[in-house]
Amino acid sequence: MRTAPPIDRLVAALKRLPGIGDKSATRLAFFLLGAPDAVGQELGEAIARLKRDIVLCAECFDLTDASPCAVCRDPKRDPSLLCVVEEPADLAAIDATGKFRGHFFVLGGALSPIDGVGPEELRIRELEERVRHGIVKEVILATNPNAEGDATAHYVSERLRPQDVTLTRIAYGMPLGGDLEYADHVTIGLSLDHRRAID
Amino acid sequence: MRAQSSEALVLRGVDFGESDRILHLLLPDVGRLTAIAKGARRSRKRFSGTLDLFQHLRVLVDRRRRGAMARLDGATLLRNFDEIRIDPSRFALGCFLLELLDRLAPEGGARADTQRLFRFALDSLALVSERPVDGALRVLLELRALDALGLRPEFSRCVRCAGDALVRGGAVSFHVADGGVVCGPCAREGEGLLAVHPGTLRALEQGLRFELHQLHRLALGPELLAEARLLLGRFERFHVGVELRSRRFLEERLPAVRV
Repeated sequence: MRTAPPIDRLVAALKRLPGIGDKSATRLAFFLLGAPDAVGQELGEAIARLKRDIVLCAECFDLTDASPCAVCRDPKRDPSLLCVVEEPADLAAIDATGKFRGHFFVLGGALSPIDGVGPEELRIRELEERVRHGIVKEVILATNPNAEGDATAHYVSERLRPQDVTLTRIAYGMPLGGDLEYADHVTIGLSLDHRRAID
Repeated sequence: MRAQSSEALVLRGVDFGESDRILHLLLPDVGRLTAIAKGARRSRKRFSGTLDLFQHLRVLVDRRRRGAMARLDGATLLRNFDEIRIDPSRFALGCFLLELLDRLAPEGGARADTQRLFRFALDSLALVSERPVDGALRVLLELRALDALGLRPEFSRCVRCAGDALVRGGAVSFHVADGGVVCGPCAREGEGLLAVHPGTLRALEQGLRFELHQLHRLALGPELLAEARLLLGRFERFHVGVELRSRRFLEERLPAVRV
Protein backbone atom coordinates (compact mmCIF):
# COMPACT_ATOMS: atom_id res chain seq x y z
CA MET A 1 0.00 0.00 0.00
CA ARG A 2 1.34 3.45 -0.92
CA THR A 3 1.08 6.06 1.84
CA ALA A 4 2.41 9.58 2.35
CA PRO A 5 5.95 9.85 3.77
CA PRO A 6 4.84 11.33 7.15
CA ILE A 7 2.61 8.27 7.70
CA ASP A 8 5.43 5.94 6.65
CA ARG A 9 7.72 7.67 9.14
CA LEU A 10 5.24 7.22 11.99
CA VAL A 11 4.59 3.56 11.05
CA ALA A 12 8.33 2.91 10.98
CA ALA A 13 8.73 4.55 14.41
CA LEU A 14 5.83 2.62 15.95
CA LYS A 15 7.14 -0.67 14.57
CA ARG A 16 10.23 -0.29 16.70
CA LEU A 17 8.11 -0.72 19.85
CA PRO A 18 7.93 -4.24 21.34
CA GLY A 19 4.90 -6.23 20.23
CA ILE A 20 4.02 -3.84 17.41
CA GLY A 21 4.10 -5.27 13.91
CA ASP A 22 3.35 -3.77 10.50
CA LYS A 23 -0.44 -4.03 10.78
CA SER A 24 -0.70 -2.71 14.33
CA ALA A 25 1.64 0.20 13.50
CA THR A 26 -0.43 1.14 10.44
CA ARG A 27 -3.68 0.89 12.41
CA LEU A 28 -2.28 3.14 15.18
CA ALA A 29 -0.97 5.65 12.66
CA PHE A 30 -4.38 5.97 10.97
CA PHE A 31 -6.09 6.19 14.37
CA LEU A 32 -3.84 9.12 15.31
CA LEU A 33 -4.49 10.74 11.94
CA GLY A 34 -8.24 10.62 12.55
CA ALA A 35 -8.12 11.56 16.25
CA PRO A 36 -8.49 15.14 17.56
CA ASP A 37 -5.26 17.16 17.50
CA ALA A 38 -5.04 17.11 21.30
CA VAL A 39 -4.62 13.30 21.35
CA GLY A 40 -1.54 13.41 19.13
CA GLN A 41 -0.08 16.39 20.96
CA GLU A 42 -0.59 14.81 24.36
CA LEU A 43 1.03 11.57 23.22
CA GLY A 44 3.97 13.36 21.61
CA GLU A 45 4.55 15.49 24.69
CA ALA A 46 4.31 12.49 27.03
CA ILE A 47 6.94 10.63 24.99
CA ALA A 48 9.22 13.67 24.81
CA ARG A 49 8.97 14.25 28.58
CA LEU A 50 9.56 10.63 29.43
CA LYS A 51 13.32 10.71 28.94
CA ARG A 52 13.63 14.31 30.12
CA ASP A 53 11.81 13.90 33.43
CA ILE A 54 12.82 10.40 34.50
CA VAL A 55 15.91 10.05 36.67
CA LEU A 56 17.45 7.25 38.72
CA CYS A 57 16.77 7.37 42.45
CA ALA A 58 20.13 7.96 44.12
CA GLU A 59 19.29 5.46 46.89
CA CYS A 60 17.49 2.53 45.28
CA PHE A 61 18.26 3.16 41.57
CA ASP A 62 14.62 2.82 40.57
CA LEU A 63 13.28 5.02 37.78
CA THR A 64 11.57 8.05 39.28
CA ASP A 65 10.68 11.68 38.63
CA ALA A 66 12.30 12.86 41.87
CA SER A 67 15.32 11.55 43.72
CA PRO A 68 15.05 10.09 46.35
CA CYS A 69 11.94 8.35 45.05
CA ALA A 70 8.60 8.17 46.89
CA VAL A 71 9.40 4.70 48.29
CA CYS A 72 12.77 5.79 49.71
CA ARG A 73 11.18 8.94 51.20
CA ASP A 74 8.25 7.10 52.81
CA PRO A 75 8.80 7.26 56.61
CA LYS A 76 6.33 4.39 57.17
CA ARG A 77 8.60 1.92 55.42
CA ASP A 78 11.03 -0.23 57.38
CA PRO A 79 14.62 0.78 56.48
CA SER A 80 16.07 -2.35 58.13
CA LEU A 81 14.64 -4.52 55.32
CA LEU A 82 16.23 -4.23 51.90
CA CYS A 83 14.88 -6.14 48.92
CA VAL A 84 17.38 -6.52 46.06
CA VAL A 85 15.90 -6.92 42.56
CA GLU A 86 17.34 -7.07 39.04
CA GLU A 87 15.23 -4.43 37.27
CA PRO A 88 12.74 -1.63 38.06
CA ALA A 89 9.92 -3.81 36.69
CA ASP A 90 10.71 -6.43 39.37
CA LEU A 91 10.53 -3.73 42.05
CA ALA A 92 7.13 -2.66 40.75
CA ALA A 93 5.90 -6.28 40.77
CA ILE A 94 6.93 -6.81 44.41
CA ASP A 95 5.65 -3.42 45.54
CA ALA A 96 2.29 -4.10 43.87
CA THR A 97 1.75 -7.06 46.21
CA GLY A 98 1.46 -4.65 49.14
CA LYS A 99 3.14 -7.36 51.26
CA PHE A 100 6.55 -5.78 51.48
CA ARG A 101 7.02 -2.62 53.52
CA GLY A 102 10.79 -2.35 53.42
CA HIS A 103 13.12 -0.58 51.01
CA PHE A 104 14.39 -1.67 47.61
CA PHE A 105 17.64 -1.78 45.68
CA VAL A 106 17.83 -2.26 41.88
CA LEU A 107 20.99 -4.08 40.78
CA GLY A 108 20.58 -3.22 37.11
CA GLY A 109 20.53 -6.80 35.82
CA ALA A 110 21.92 -10.22 36.64
CA LEU A 111 25.30 -11.85 36.15
CA SER A 112 25.45 -13.21 32.62
CA PRO A 113 29.07 -13.91 31.67
CA ILE A 114 28.01 -15.29 28.26
CA ASP A 115 26.52 -11.87 27.47
CA GLY A 116 29.53 -10.04 28.91
CA VAL A 117 27.71 -8.97 32.09
CA GLY A 118 29.99 -9.38 35.09
CA PRO A 119 29.91 -7.90 38.60
CA GLU A 120 31.35 -4.60 37.33
CA GLU A 121 28.27 -4.07 35.17
CA LEU A 122 25.96 -4.38 38.19
CA ARG A 123 25.54 -2.03 41.18
CA ILE A 124 27.15 -4.39 43.64
CA ARG A 125 29.61 -1.83 45.03
CA GLU A 126 26.75 0.61 45.59
CA LEU A 127 24.83 -2.14 47.39
CA GLU A 128 27.81 -2.90 49.64
CA GLU A 129 28.04 0.80 50.41
CA ARG A 130 24.35 1.01 51.26
CA VAL A 131 24.53 -1.99 53.61
CA ARG A 132 27.74 -0.70 55.22
CA HIS A 133 25.80 2.21 56.77
CA GLY A 134 24.43 -0.29 59.30
CA ILE A 135 20.74 0.57 59.05
CA VAL A 136 19.90 -2.51 56.94
CA LYS A 137 19.52 -5.67 59.04
CA GLU A 138 18.15 -8.07 56.41
CA VAL A 139 18.86 -8.21 52.69
CA ILE A 140 16.24 -10.17 50.71
CA LEU A 141 17.71 -11.38 47.42
CA ALA A 142 14.80 -11.29 44.99
CA THR A 143 16.63 -11.89 41.72
CA ASN A 144 14.85 -14.12 39.20
CA PRO A 145 14.82 -17.87 39.95
CA ASN A 146 16.77 -18.76 36.80
CA ALA A 147 20.46 -19.69 36.39
CA GLU A 148 21.65 -16.08 36.10
CA GLY A 149 19.41 -14.85 38.93
CA ASP A 150 20.44 -17.65 41.29
CA ALA A 151 24.13 -17.14 40.52
CA THR A 152 23.72 -13.39 41.11
CA ALA A 153 22.00 -13.97 44.45
CA HIS A 154 24.84 -16.23 45.60
CA TYR A 155 27.52 -13.87 44.30
CA VAL A 156 25.91 -10.90 46.09
CA SER A 157 25.53 -12.88 49.30
CA GLU A 158 29.22 -13.80 49.10
CA ARG A 159 30.13 -10.11 48.79
CA LEU A 160 27.81 -9.03 51.64
CA ARG A 161 28.69 -11.89 54.01
CA PRO A 162 31.49 -9.96 55.80
CA GLN A 163 28.92 -7.39 56.89
CA ASP A 164 26.64 -7.79 59.89
CA VAL A 165 23.44 -8.48 57.98
CA THR A 166 21.00 -11.38 57.53
CA LEU A 167 20.84 -12.66 53.95
CA THR A 168 17.69 -14.33 52.68
CA ARG A 169 16.46 -15.56 49.29
CA ILE A 170 12.85 -15.43 48.07
CA ALA A 171 11.14 -18.82 48.25
CA TYR A 172 10.86 -21.29 45.38
CA GLY A 173 7.77 -23.31 44.66
CA MET A 174 4.62 -23.92 42.68
CA PRO A 175 2.92 -20.85 41.21
CA LEU A 176 -0.67 -20.12 42.25
CA GLY A 177 -3.01 -21.61 39.66
CA GLY A 178 -0.22 -23.98 38.62
CA ASP A 179 -0.68 -27.60 37.70
CA LEU A 180 1.51 -30.27 39.32
CA GLU A 181 1.12 -32.53 36.30
CA TYR A 182 2.85 -29.97 34.07
CA ALA A 183 5.42 -28.64 36.51
CA ASP A 184 9.08 -29.64 36.13
CA HIS A 185 10.48 -31.99 38.77
CA VAL A 186 12.96 -29.39 40.06
CA THR A 187 10.18 -26.94 40.95
CA ILE A 188 8.11 -29.70 42.57
CA GLY A 189 11.19 -30.85 44.49
CA LEU A 190 11.88 -27.32 45.71
CA SER A 191 8.23 -26.91 46.74
CA LEU A 192 8.58 -30.02 48.88
CA ASP A 193 11.90 -28.85 50.33
CA HIS A 194 10.32 -25.53 51.31
CA ARG A 195 6.96 -26.91 52.48
CA ARG A 196 5.35 -25.31 55.51
CA ALA A 197 2.91 -26.36 58.19
CA ILE A 198 -0.73 -25.42 57.71
CA ASP A 199 -1.80 -23.14 60.55
CA MET B 1 7.61 -35.80 8.98
CA ARG B 2 6.66 -35.20 12.61
CA ALA B 3 8.64 -33.30 15.20
CA GLN B 4 11.64 -35.29 16.40
CA SER B 5 12.36 -36.22 19.98
CA SER B 6 15.93 -35.84 21.20
CA GLU B 7 18.04 -35.12 24.22
CA ALA B 8 19.42 -31.56 24.30
CA LEU B 9 21.56 -29.26 26.40
CA VAL B 10 20.71 -25.55 26.65
CA LEU B 11 23.82 -23.54 25.71
CA ARG B 12 22.19 -20.13 25.56
CA GLY B 13 18.77 -18.51 25.67
CA VAL B 14 17.72 -15.12 24.35
CA ASP B 15 14.30 -13.53 24.80
CA PHE B 16 12.66 -12.70 21.49
CA GLY B 17 9.66 -10.45 20.93
CA GLU B 18 6.87 -10.37 23.50
CA SER B 19 6.80 -13.96 24.62
CA ASP B 20 9.18 -16.14 22.58
CA ARG B 21 12.63 -17.40 23.45
CA ILE B 22 15.41 -18.41 21.07
CA LEU B 23 17.52 -21.32 22.31
CA HIS B 24 20.97 -22.44 21.30
CA LEU B 25 20.90 -26.18 21.89
CA LEU B 26 23.40 -28.99 21.65
CA LEU B 27 21.86 -32.24 20.39
CA PRO B 28 23.64 -35.61 20.32
CA ASP B 29 22.80 -36.42 16.69
CA VAL B 30 22.75 -32.92 15.25
CA GLY B 31 25.35 -30.81 17.04
CA ARG B 32 24.45 -27.20 17.63
CA LEU B 33 20.91 -26.17 16.75
CA THR B 34 19.10 -22.85 17.07
CA ALA B 35 15.39 -23.22 17.82
CA ILE B 36 12.56 -20.87 18.68
CA ALA B 37 10.24 -21.67 21.56
CA LYS B 38 7.02 -19.84 20.69
CA GLY B 39 5.19 -18.37 23.67
CA ALA B 40 7.79 -19.84 26.02
CA ARG B 41 7.71 -16.95 28.46
CA ARG B 42 3.91 -17.09 28.72
CA SER B 43 3.25 -20.82 28.76
CA ARG B 44 3.23 -22.49 32.17
CA LYS B 45 2.69 -25.93 30.74
CA ARG B 46 4.77 -26.62 27.64
CA PHE B 47 8.10 -25.28 28.88
CA SER B 48 7.66 -25.09 32.63
CA GLY B 49 11.08 -24.44 34.19
CA THR B 50 13.00 -26.03 31.34
CA LEU B 51 14.54 -23.40 29.07
CA ASP B 52 17.32 -22.25 31.33
CA LEU B 53 21.10 -22.44 30.97
CA PHE B 54 22.72 -25.80 31.81
CA GLN B 55 19.41 -27.69 31.50
CA HIS B 56 19.65 -31.22 30.11
CA LEU B 57 16.33 -31.80 28.39
CA ARG B 58 14.25 -34.19 26.33
CA VAL B 59 12.96 -31.92 23.54
CA LEU B 60 10.52 -32.16 20.68
CA VAL B 61 11.97 -30.24 17.73
CA ASP B 62 10.33 -29.47 14.41
CA ARG B 63 12.97 -28.98 11.70
CA ARG B 64 10.63 -29.36 8.72
CA ARG B 65 10.94 -25.90 7.23
CA ARG B 66 14.06 -25.81 5.11
CA GLY B 67 16.13 -22.70 5.70
CA ALA B 68 13.95 -21.58 8.61
CA MET B 69 14.76 -21.74 12.29
CA ALA B 70 13.76 -24.99 13.98
CA ARG B 71 10.75 -24.82 16.30
CA LEU B 72 10.81 -26.20 19.81
CA ASP B 73 7.45 -27.86 20.42
CA GLY B 74 8.03 -29.23 23.91
CA ALA B 75 10.64 -29.89 26.55
CA THR B 76 10.93 -31.91 29.72
CA LEU B 77 13.74 -31.57 32.21
CA LEU B 78 16.14 -34.50 32.67
CA ARG B 79 18.81 -32.81 34.79
CA ASN B 80 19.59 -29.20 35.70
CA PHE B 81 23.07 -29.26 37.31
CA ASP B 82 21.70 -27.03 40.07
CA GLU B 83 25.00 -26.95 42.00
CA ILE B 84 26.43 -24.80 39.19
CA ARG B 85 23.96 -21.98 39.64
CA ILE B 86 24.43 -21.65 43.40
CA ASP B 87 28.22 -21.34 43.33
CA PRO B 88 29.71 -18.32 41.49
CA SER B 89 32.98 -20.12 40.62
CA ARG B 90 31.16 -23.15 39.23
CA PHE B 91 28.84 -20.77 37.38
CA ALA B 92 31.82 -18.94 35.86
CA LEU B 93 33.41 -22.19 34.63
CA GLY B 94 30.06 -23.60 33.45
CA CYS B 95 29.26 -20.44 31.46
CA PHE B 96 32.73 -20.51 29.91
CA LEU B 97 32.27 -24.11 28.74
CA LEU B 98 28.79 -23.34 27.37
CA GLU B 99 30.07 -20.32 25.45
CA LEU B 100 32.99 -22.29 24.02
CA LEU B 101 30.61 -25.03 22.83
CA ASP B 102 28.13 -22.47 21.52
CA ARG B 103 30.83 -20.72 19.47
CA LEU B 104 32.62 -23.78 18.13
CA ALA B 105 30.18 -26.71 18.04
CA PRO B 106 29.38 -27.68 14.46
CA GLU B 107 25.86 -27.54 13.07
CA GLY B 108 25.64 -31.06 11.72
CA GLY B 109 28.61 -33.34 11.09
CA ALA B 110 29.45 -36.97 11.68
CA ARG B 111 27.10 -38.55 14.18
CA ALA B 112 29.87 -40.20 16.19
CA ASP B 113 31.56 -36.80 16.64
CA THR B 114 28.40 -34.95 17.69
CA GLN B 115 27.49 -37.74 20.10
CA ARG B 116 30.98 -37.63 21.62
CA LEU B 117 30.71 -33.85 21.98
CA PHE B 118 27.30 -34.11 23.64
CA ARG B 119 28.60 -36.74 26.07
CA PHE B 120 31.59 -34.50 26.90
CA ALA B 121 29.26 -31.54 27.55
CA LEU B 122 27.14 -33.48 30.03
CA ASP B 123 30.11 -35.16 31.72
CA SER B 124 32.02 -31.91 32.12
CA LEU B 125 29.00 -30.11 33.62
CA ALA B 126 28.51 -33.04 35.98
CA LEU B 127 32.15 -32.72 37.02
CA VAL B 128 31.83 -28.96 37.54
CA SER B 129 28.70 -29.44 39.64
CA GLU B 130 30.08 -32.28 41.76
CA ARG B 131 33.76 -31.55 42.39
CA PRO B 132 35.53 -28.51 43.85
CA VAL B 133 36.60 -26.25 40.99
CA ASP B 134 39.98 -24.53 40.76
CA GLY B 135 42.39 -23.07 38.21
CA ALA B 136 43.75 -26.50 37.31
CA LEU B 137 40.35 -28.02 36.55
CA ARG B 138 39.52 -24.93 34.52
CA VAL B 139 42.61 -25.35 32.30
CA LEU B 140 42.12 -29.10 31.89
CA LEU B 141 38.43 -28.79 31.00
CA GLU B 142 39.27 -26.03 28.52
CA LEU B 143 41.71 -28.45 26.88
CA ARG B 144 39.23 -31.33 26.89
CA ALA B 145 36.53 -29.09 25.41
CA LEU B 146 38.83 -28.18 22.51
CA ASP B 147 39.57 -31.88 22.03
CA ALA B 148 35.85 -32.77 22.04
CA LEU B 149 35.26 -30.02 19.47
CA GLY B 150 37.78 -31.66 17.14
CA LEU B 151 40.50 -29.11 17.86
CA ARG B 152 42.97 -31.29 19.73
CA PRO B 153 46.38 -29.58 19.89
CA GLU B 154 49.45 -31.73 19.19
CA PHE B 155 51.72 -31.80 22.23
CA SER B 156 54.34 -34.47 21.53
CA ARG B 157 55.11 -34.77 17.79
CA CYS B 158 56.55 -31.81 15.92
CA VAL B 159 53.90 -30.53 13.51
CA ARG B 160 56.64 -29.82 10.93
CA CYS B 161 58.84 -32.96 10.90
CA ALA B 162 56.58 -35.39 12.85
CA GLY B 163 59.52 -36.26 15.08
CA ASP B 164 59.10 -36.68 18.83
CA ALA B 165 59.67 -33.09 19.96
CA LEU B 166 59.90 -33.95 23.64
CA VAL B 167 62.44 -36.77 23.31
CA ARG B 168 64.91 -34.66 21.34
CA GLY B 169 65.39 -32.35 24.30
CA GLY B 170 66.30 -28.69 24.08
CA ALA B 171 63.95 -25.81 23.38
CA VAL B 172 60.37 -26.56 22.36
CA SER B 173 57.83 -24.12 20.99
CA PHE B 174 54.13 -24.09 20.18
CA HIS B 175 52.70 -22.72 16.94
CA VAL B 176 49.10 -21.65 17.38
CA ALA B 177 48.07 -21.64 13.70
CA ASP B 178 49.73 -24.99 13.01
CA GLY B 179 48.03 -26.37 16.11
CA GLY B 180 50.96 -27.97 17.85
CA VAL B 181 54.48 -28.24 19.08
CA VAL B 182 57.52 -27.36 16.95
CA CYS B 183 60.88 -28.93 17.75
CA GLY B 184 64.07 -26.88 18.05
CA PRO B 185 65.55 -27.68 14.61
CA CYS B 186 62.22 -26.90 12.82
CA ALA B 187 61.64 -23.60 14.63
CA ARG B 188 62.28 -20.45 12.60
CA GLU B 189 62.78 -17.04 14.13
CA GLY B 190 60.10 -14.37 13.87
CA GLU B 191 57.12 -16.62 13.19
CA GLY B 192 55.30 -16.00 16.48
CA LEU B 193 56.27 -19.21 18.23
CA LEU B 194 55.39 -19.56 21.88
CA ALA B 195 58.22 -20.98 23.99
CA VAL B 196 56.89 -23.77 26.22
CA HIS B 197 58.46 -25.93 28.89
CA PRO B 198 58.39 -29.64 27.92
CA GLY B 199 56.90 -30.39 31.35
CA THR B 200 53.84 -28.30 30.49
CA LEU B 201 53.32 -30.20 27.25
CA ARG B 202 53.67 -33.56 29.02
CA ALA B 203 51.13 -32.51 31.65
CA LEU B 204 48.66 -31.36 28.98
CA GLU B 205 49.19 -34.61 27.07
CA GLN B 206 48.31 -36.47 30.25
CA GLY B 207 45.28 -34.22 30.67
CA LEU B 208 44.03 -35.53 27.35
CA ARG B 209 44.50 -39.17 28.35
CA PHE B 210 42.88 -39.15 31.80
CA GLU B 211 39.20 -39.90 32.26
CA LEU B 212 37.29 -36.71 33.09
CA HIS B 213 36.50 -37.85 36.63
CA GLN B 214 40.21 -38.49 37.24
CA LEU B 215 41.46 -35.06 36.14
CA HIS B 216 41.76 -33.84 39.73
CA ARG B 217 44.58 -36.37 40.23
CA LEU B 218 46.87 -34.41 37.91
CA ALA B 219 49.08 -32.15 40.00
CA LEU B 220 49.81 -28.92 38.12
CA GLY B 221 52.11 -26.31 39.64
CA PRO B 222 51.47 -22.56 39.35
CA GLU B 223 54.11 -21.91 36.65
CA LEU B 224 52.91 -24.83 34.57
CA LEU B 225 49.31 -23.66 34.93
CA ALA B 226 50.18 -20.12 33.88
CA GLU B 227 51.98 -21.41 30.78
CA ALA B 228 49.17 -23.84 29.90
CA ARG B 229 46.59 -21.08 30.30
CA LEU B 230 48.52 -18.77 27.97
CA LEU B 231 48.96 -21.49 25.36
CA LEU B 232 45.34 -22.64 25.42
CA GLY B 233 44.04 -19.08 25.54
CA ARG B 234 45.89 -18.18 22.33
CA PHE B 235 44.97 -21.45 20.63
CA GLU B 236 41.31 -21.01 21.49
CA ARG B 237 41.24 -17.34 20.46
CA PHE B 238 42.74 -18.31 17.10
CA HIS B 239 39.87 -20.72 16.48
CA VAL B 240 37.02 -18.66 17.96
CA GLY B 241 38.20 -15.44 16.33
CA VAL B 242 37.26 -13.26 19.31
CA GLU B 243 37.82 -13.23 23.04
CA LEU B 244 35.11 -15.26 24.79
CA ARG B 245 32.92 -12.89 26.78
CA SER B 246 32.70 -15.22 29.76
CA ARG B 247 36.50 -15.28 30.13
CA ARG B 248 36.58 -12.03 32.15
CA PHE B 249 34.39 -13.40 34.96
CA LEU B 250 36.24 -16.71 34.79
CA GLU B 251 39.57 -14.92 35.33
CA GLU B 252 38.09 -13.22 38.39
CA ARG B 253 36.78 -16.44 39.90
CA LEU B 254 39.29 -19.05 38.75
CA PRO B 255 42.60 -17.52 37.78
CA ALA B 256 45.02 -20.22 36.61
CA VAL B 257 47.47 -18.78 39.13
CA ARG B 258 46.20 -17.54 42.47
CA VAL B 259 47.54 -14.06 43.20
